[in-house]
Amino acid sequence: MRNFIAFFKRFRVFLFFAVLQIVALSWHIRYLSFPKNQYLTTASAVTGKVLEVENDVTKHFNLSKNNVNLQSENISLRKKIPQSLYQINRKLFKIQDTVFEQQYEYIPATVVNSSVTRRNNYFTINAGSKQGIKREMGVFSDKGVVGVIHNVSEHYSVVKTVLTKDINIDVTIEPIGLFGFLKWNGHDAKKGSVTGISNDLKIKRWSRVVTKGGSGIFPKGMPVGKVYETKPVEGEPLWDVVVLFSENFRTLQNVYVIKNLLIDEQKALEKQIPPDEEEEDL
Amino acid sequence: MNVVVKNSIRFVIFVLLQALVFNQIEIGFGIHLMVQPLFIMLLPFETGIFTLMILGFFLGLIIDIFSNTYGLHASSLLIMAYLRPIIFKFYGPREGYDPLKEPSIFDMGSRWFLFVFGYLLLIHHFWYFLVEIFRFDQFLLILQKTIFSVIISYLLCIVLQTFIIKKSKAK
Repeated sequence: MRNFIAFFKRFRVFLFFAVLQIVALSWHIRYLSFPKNQYLTTASAVTGKVLEVENDVTKHFNLSKNNVNLQSENISLRKKIPQSLYQINRKLFKIQDTVFEQQYEYIPATVVNSSVTRRNNYFTINAGSKQGIKREMGVFSDKGVVGVIHNVSEHYSVVKTVLTKDINIDVTIEPIGLFGFLKWNGHDAKKGSVTGISNDLKIKRWSRVVTKGGSGIFPKGMPVGKVYETKPVEGEPLWDVVVLFSENFRTLQNVYVIKNLLIDEQKALEKQIPPDEEEEDL
Repeated sequence: MNVVVKNSIRFVIFVLLQALVFNQIEIGFGIHLMVQPLFIMLLPFETGIFTLMILGFFLGLIIDIFSNTYGLHASSLLIMAYLRPIIFKFYGPREGYDPLKEPSIFDMGSRWFLFVFGYLLLIHHFWYFLVEIFRFDQFLLILQKTIFSVIISYLLCIVLQTFIIKKSKAK
């Protein structure tokens, strides 16, 4: 027993260090994949508020550019629906129709905090559970896919962007229709990659990469980017397809959150599938 | 001014600086500006190792909350706080440090500061990017990010000291 106490006395500094280090690292590892609450992220009320005030100042730097973007989006929307000019503004709207049922609704939000240089980049947006946002909803901008909701509080939410390690959005390369998963290697905020594309087909440069819409997070055919180049993967019959994102994440401000009204139905149905024996390695 | 008050103000300043200013600046080339190691560096010589580690941990924690990095800053500031006394001892004068002096570039001279803070910043940044990327096939990326970020952060810290320390002396 005396030895035991002596051991603690001797190594107490290192033990203290080790305990704190384990706390920090386990927090890091756990929160990357399974966020449990929002208290220690930018989704919490205090930090969200501070960052929103900061954004109130800095948003003006990109204001004219964002206005041009929104304007061009408005023009394209006006072309589509000439008679309902004012229904397509910031509020949700529903169309009563027996042929088409509304499947996706869009909630507007502003990015209040963002980064693009880290290994895992998260955005904070100023819409939360009060606006009906839940985890695993898709987020996109006028140019393309941004990410998936990672964590929600009352007024804010944190978006796991496509610039993270395991975002795995299912995408399609358009004219051929090949399916793959979107990944990001951490180097360049302008380029991502699509894995799982077999190399027996040729892929043309600048062919469009769009969402597949299989998981119900994004509608089908939402733009992600364009094929920049294809590289062979060593030892596997696969292409590593480099994608040039259509969104510039550095200046992104206005985003929309996608609310899939039929997601519960889809999930309930998919739950009935018996689970596989082996876990798939993606 | 009282040491506790002075360092509390500094704590707040460093949190705000890092969260609202330097987190938002993105230069490219993998450079990530971090100035909060300077807070740990500038704590008085006689600060105990437990105080150092607790302060480092909580400073990191608060910055983590602001930047969605989930414990990364806490972990890397902690390792820096743990190693500070060891490196201070290694580069210290034989008769020990003068408790009236501050471990800043003005009191201790640029040569001492260059080595001590350089090593600590290198360890801090290396650990940060190592844990953040955590893939050994991307070791070159870790090194590139570390070296570029250390150089820029170091220069930034020297500039920052002229503001922070001059101000604290005038009061």
